[in-house]
Amino acid sequence: MNEALTANGVSVRLGGATIVQGASFSLRAGELVALVGPNGAGKTTLMRALAGLVPAEGAIELGSNPLASMKPRERARHIAYLPQGHIFHWPMPVADIVMLGRAPHADPFSSTSPEDRAAVAHALATTETDVFAQRAVTTLSGGEKARVALARALATQAPVLLADEPTAALDPRHQLVVMELLRTAARGGNAILAILHDLTLAARFADRILVMDRGRIVADGSPDQSLAPERLATVFGIEAATVLVGDKHVPIAGRAL
Amino acid sequence: MERASLRINFILAALIVALAVLSLMVGPAGLSPRAAIAGLFSGEGPAGIIVREIRLPRTLLAGLIGATLGLSGAALQGLLRNPLAEPALFGAPQAAAAAAAAVIAFGFAPVTSFAVPVAGILGALVSIAGLVAIAGRRASLTVTLLAGLALASFAGSMTALILNLAPNPFIALEIAFWLLGSLEDRSTDHLVIATPFMIASWILLAANARAFRALTLGEDAAASLGVDVARTRMMVVTGVALGVGAAVAVAGAVGFVGLVAPHLLRRAVGSDPARVMLPATLAGAALVLAADVAIRLGPSAVEIKLGVVTALIGVPVFLAIIFRERRLLEGAPS
Repeated sequence: MNEALTANGVSVRLGGATIVQGASFSLRAGELVALVGPNGAGKTTLMRALAGLVPAEGAIELGSNPLASMKPRERARHIAYLPQGHIFHWPMPVADIVMLGRAPHADPFSSTSPEDRAAVAHALATTETDVFAQRAVTTLSGGEKARVALARALATQAPVLLADEPTAALDPRHQLVVMELLRTAARGGNAILAILHDLTLAARFADRILVMDRGRIVADGSPDQSLAPERLATVFGIEAATVLVGDKHVPIAGRAL
Repeated sequence: MERASLRINFILAALIVALAVLSLMVGPAGLSPRAAIAGLFSGEGPAGIIVREIRLPRTLLAGLIGATLGLSGAALQGLLRNPLAEPALFGAPQAAAAAAAAVIAFGFAPVTSFAVPVAGILGALVSIAGLVAIAGRRASLTVTLLAGLALASFAGSMTALILNLAPNPFIALEIAFWLLGSLEDRSTDHLVIATPFMIASWILLAANARAFRALTLGEDAAASLGVDVARTRMMVVTGVALGVGAAVAVAGAVGFVGLVAPHLLRRAVGSDPARVMLPATLAGAALVLAADVAIRLGPSAVEIKLGVVTALIGVPVFLAIIFRERRLLEGAPS
């Protein structure tokens, strides 16, 4: 298997507190991996470290290149990062927003290249945002904004995609739409790490699940292994029931312990 | 949208040329357009002297200062992703004003002397050094804003103290009038000292156009796209301080242009913070030129000050934009 991203003993300290401690795992091309854990477990901080946005100890490698040795633009061509919250400050047209995903490829002295336009058109089409490509992004609904944000990240065509709660604040249908899009992108050869709070979505869509608790990765395995009832009890403090959806065992939170 | 921007830029450029010619014509000795242009190119006769020695520096300064203020406003609004950002935010213009006021009060230099702009520019530079020293080179936006606010207030209180301690009421009055902003009796010397700083400021601000566009996604997403957000912030704060500091140093405070110019254009060229920069620059130049022409067309007994006119023109325009864009502004995140 082709290892797109490897983390080895990654720790992050912020303001004297250790937020992430010794995280080690790898992310392979073609794989959709969910990162789950209770609030405050350090998921977002770990993801920001992987994206090169906060200084971290330990080794993070992209392919065989250490992240620390890469220039910001080079790093940006290899890792697309979708932060929480789908932020758009100015009412710019959707197509222009998605074009921002091409910024790491842009030649500072020229405008968009044919590859840029093709990548944007492809990202708009796969996320079905092409129908409102000329509308101001701030006038869209939450579900539409989430798809635009994803289109922007996909337009970079980076081998690694890190998505922080891509399904937060979406209705059930849009949650499924976004997860399907991520799975399609993974099948297309991307290595995707997505922070999810919804364990049923994680179990249904992820090839592998990383469980984080108090700064450490405490499980790394198939959904069945990672989301075993005992772990849900110790990490999340919930008693869960399991239902069978298709061929997957999907946990449903029963009651708080 | 790109063709719309091109058309707007062309219209604004034509407007600037027309206003510049008008600015060479009007004054105590009115000149016809032909006499003004002939005087400009020949430099001969009374018309030549009036145009070249008196009105040309004034016209060029009005255009350059307006352009600097318009661009600074557009850049700061891009950096902060907030349509309310304006050049006085980080204290540079206030520091320039305080330093210039100090020279007028205690340096015994007349208002139009060369020492005033030199002190103003030094004041702006000291304010940047102070900001970096307080906030640190890689400070967050909030810390930078707070440090800027503190510096602006400090510089404002220094100006008040200088007025308070002014050796006599005439000097206090002179400083108060100087602070209202004016381009009267500015010479080529003023142009020579201020222009390099303004051009340096344009380069620093224009270099970050792409960063402003990426920042519409927030700082984390922009950083993940390869933008060095801390470096962008430092370059913009420095660029604004250099340009606006130089503008205040030669002309006193000329308010509202930096805030209004980008707003005037946003509807026509769209909200893209990079695409708004050139038209906002041109609109700023046109605004200050128009204000400076209006001053000379008005009653001549008491000269109305430039900063007063820009505010008098700027505020109603700003209110009209708010009224028109009310719904959009309410819907947009801050």
